[in-house]
Amino acid sequence: MLHKGARRRTAALSITALLALGLAACGSGGESSVHQKAGESPLGQKLYGKHRGGTLIVYDHEDFEHLDPGEAYGAEDYTVLYAVTRPLYSYPPNSATTLKPDVAAAPPIISNGGRTLTVHIRPHIYFSPPVNREVNSGDVAYAIDRGANPNVANPYFGSYFGDLVGAEAAKGGPIPGIETPNKYTIVFHLTKPSATLFYGALSLPLSSPVPPEFVKPLDAHSPTTYGTEYLVATGPYMLKSNSQGKFLGIGYQPGKSLTLVRNPNWNPHTDYRPAYLNQIDVNVGGESSVIGQQVLKSTDAVQNDSPAPSIVQQAYQHYPRQITFTPGSGTYYASLDNARGPFTNIDLRKAVWAELDRDAIVKARGGSLAAQPMTHFLYPGVAGFQAAGGAAGLRVDYNEHPEGDPTVAAKYMKLAGYPSGKYTGSKTLQVVGSNGEPEQAMAQVVNQALQNLGFKTHLSLLEQSAMYDKYCTVPAQEIDVCPNVGWARDFADPQTVLYLPFDGHAITPSGNSNYGQVNDPAINAAMEKATLTVGEPARADAWAKIDDMLVQDAVAAPEVYASDAQIEGSDVEGVDQLWNSGAWDYDFTSLK
Amino acid sequence: MIAYVVRRLLWGVALLFLVSALTFVLFDVLPSGEPARLRAGRTASPQAIAHVRQELGLDKPIYTQFYDYIKGIVLHFDLGYSFYSHASVSSLIADRLPATISLAAGAVVIWLLTGVAIGIVSAVRRRSWLDHAAMGGALVFISAPEFWLGLVALFLFAADIGKFPILPGAGSYTGLLADPGKWFGSLVLPWLVLAAGFAAIYARLLRGSLLEVLGEDHIRTARAKGLSERRVVLRHGVRGAIMPLITVLGLDIGTLLGGALLIEVVFDIPGVGRLNYDAITQSDFPIVQGTVLLAALFIVLANIVVDISYAYLDPRVRLR
Repeated sequence: MLHKGARRRTAALSITALLALGLAACGSGGESSVHQKAGESPLGQKLYGKHRGGTLIVYDHEDFEHLDPGEAYGAEDYTVLYAVTRPLYSYPPNSATTLKPDVAAAPPIISNGGRTLTVHIRPHIYFSPPVNREVNSGDVAYAIDRGANPNVANPYFGSYFGDLVGAEAAKGGPIPGIETPNKYTIVFHLTKPSATLFYGALSLPLSSPVPPEFVKPLDAHSPTTYGTEYLVATGPYMLKSNSQGKFLGIGYQPGKSLTLVRNPNWNPHTDYRPAYLNQIDVNVGGESSVIGQQVLKSTDAVQNDSPAPSIVQQAYQHYPRQITFTPGSGTYYASLDNARGPFTNIDLRKAVWAELDRDAIVKARGGSLAAQPMTHFLYPGVAGFQAAGGAAGLRVDYNEHPEGDPTVAAKYMKLAGYPSGKYTGSKTLQVVGSNGEPEQAMAQVVNQALQNLGFKTHLSLLEQSAMYDKYCTVPAQEIDVCPNVGWARDFADPQTVLYLPFDGHAITPSGNSNYGQVNDPAINAAMEKATLTVGEPARADAWAKIDDMLVQDAVAAPEVYASDAQIEGSDVEGVDQLWNSGAWDYDFTSLK
Repeated sequence: MIAYVVRRLLWGVALLFLVSALTFVLFDVLPSGEPARLRAGRTASPQAIAHVRQELGLDKPIYTQFYDYIKGIVLHFDLGYSFYSHASVSSLIADRLPATISLAAGAVVIWLLTGVAIGIVSAVRRRSWLDHAAMGGALVFISAPEFWLGLVALFLFAADIGKFPILPGAGSYTGLLADPGKWFGSLVLPWLVLAAGFAAIYARLLRGSLLEVLGEDHIRTARAKGLSERRVVLRHGVRGAIMPLITVLGLDIGTLLGGALLIEVVFDIPGVGRLNYDAITQSDFPIVQGTVLLAALFIVLANIVVDISYAYLDPRVRLR
């Protein structure tokens, strides 16, 4: 998935003051992420035994995109959905790698050589009013069935649930590959031995049970009105609704506010979430720097989206206990067109990698707390990161100097057939970046590196959604370099980080996430094999090897690993979701 | 007179049609997010994208989309549905309009009272220290960007983040009917900030206009007749000098009713301007189109009202 806020603006963290402070980088080298309050040594988050009660105020200057578990696919939407709905499995906030059974009673039983998963569901989980009945396996089956319903338009059904038997032909009706032998058991039959990946995908909101008798009529609308007008909860909270379960105009005013109240039918004995807060009031809109001030000077507020750069600076300097940076929020890199133009030449790609000043991009993003130089494509916190070289990455000369190495760059320019060490071709590179901050500054650094190598460039800076939707995801536009693209995992499996952006089979005429059209047969074959690898350690190794291949092929020019910032009021004991780019976890956050 | 109004209204309809068409074309031509992709997600399958395009009517040629849109407005007063919330655009605008009207109405009262008063005093006390101070101050408020002024006001006076916390700040807006006291309190800062720039412009405009009028023959005649200076200025001078203000006022009110975008964003007032701002950032075209149309409608109506008021204020003007 894209980074938090990437739909309109990615986290903006250009803070020169942080640089002056010479902060030490937070732990970026391990498989497990660390949650860090600025100015302190890394802390584990306190999850249990905290004060109960109170109302948390949440400021969010952008509105939510989707509140339907069948549609949602963004970090900010997830903060609400994971408080309201419960998938089969979920990550506790302090882990980005270890799944816990949620609606499921235990980890799945994987059989048939990784082609079948059997999941037992906990009894005594109830739907919120007006449904008021116990959740059963049929509700989970329907939740996944509706992912194929065109009226729901789930963004990842094909990627992660496409291996279900019969999924290809599914249109929202029962999928033959899902069986419910009894009310507490659900069995998934897959066409391939892809059970490990499928298990990870069961942590996505799509697996949250949905009551068919209530939702089917809503799903008949095009688009469905589930999630825009009605939502049934299984989690500790629900959107404030009327007696018919309608929340639109009651608990949610588009562009204005959203209110979460306790779900009276939530059964804490079935859930590992403590749910300390009585209510969560989300205020949508406002100016980012004002919101940031309101949060920092408040006792009971947090900001849901990324704080403004000036606020991060202020928070770090004056409210260090009220800001957190979460490593492992994703990657940023410059895509290079592997399919046509000069960057079909691998040595030219290596030259750009060597020339690019990744340290300057770290500075543009706010310094070492907010970003670390990227050395390969798996990022901290994702399985396989260490096996692929950890923070240092693969030992190749073009990867050795994050500050940029013109000598190595010149070497590869010569190998590419440019004896002067400078590009002498007639091609003017089309470079399309984002006009947001700090993306603009990042794009300028990339553009400078290209010009240093002798390329003539035409740099266009556009609104981020236009950059993605009209140019960088449309191969026919023939964009040579997209300096502001990036990726974040959908769940812990490394396939979710590498497959869509770098597999040749994933290239599509529009909405293409393989921005550089990387289509190396060896890499494709390795991915094909890795997707079918069963078992987390084996998968981590397999994808780490693919990561090495991507580096050796210099498929893109890496920039930074992101660490997103979050701010909270003085009496808030905020808990970040490490698995979700550090977004707030309202099930664990409390007030002092 | 009636024929004049009818003719102006017909021209207004034609103008609104043109504005709609232009907005459609601009949205299609300029680089912006692809609504179907934004709605379906970036990794959605081509089939899912195609379905959403069909669902939103984006698969039709632009002229067909425009025809459907205009037909919806003419036959059903239907401005379409938001790509995101699926709420009807008419209901969203109706929901946001009271906040925008509240903001505009209060600000207009403040800037008229202060702008006119300062303009008169500056003209009457021309080249005095009062005139210099007033015009210097006006220049500051004209030059200061509204957005910046709003932030300064919040950081100085807002109850939650201000150095001198005396007034409700951003996000405190309450509907008039919900709590009139809170409504008033929540709008004081936005009113003052919004009015500041306008008051400064009006003061300078009126000063210049009044100085010109005060030099005319009929003013000398009035003074020669022995009328008090107060009467000369207010009755004969201001009445003649106020015409340019009326023209500008009409346009300003019309524009503001279409949404005081920056003030609504800074003070987190859920008005039409913020609705438009959010829609632009989300490429939510039906809302953009609806709010642009509304703004154009207000400007057209305000122009007609201004023209009609000319006839009453200035005996030399006759409407044909």
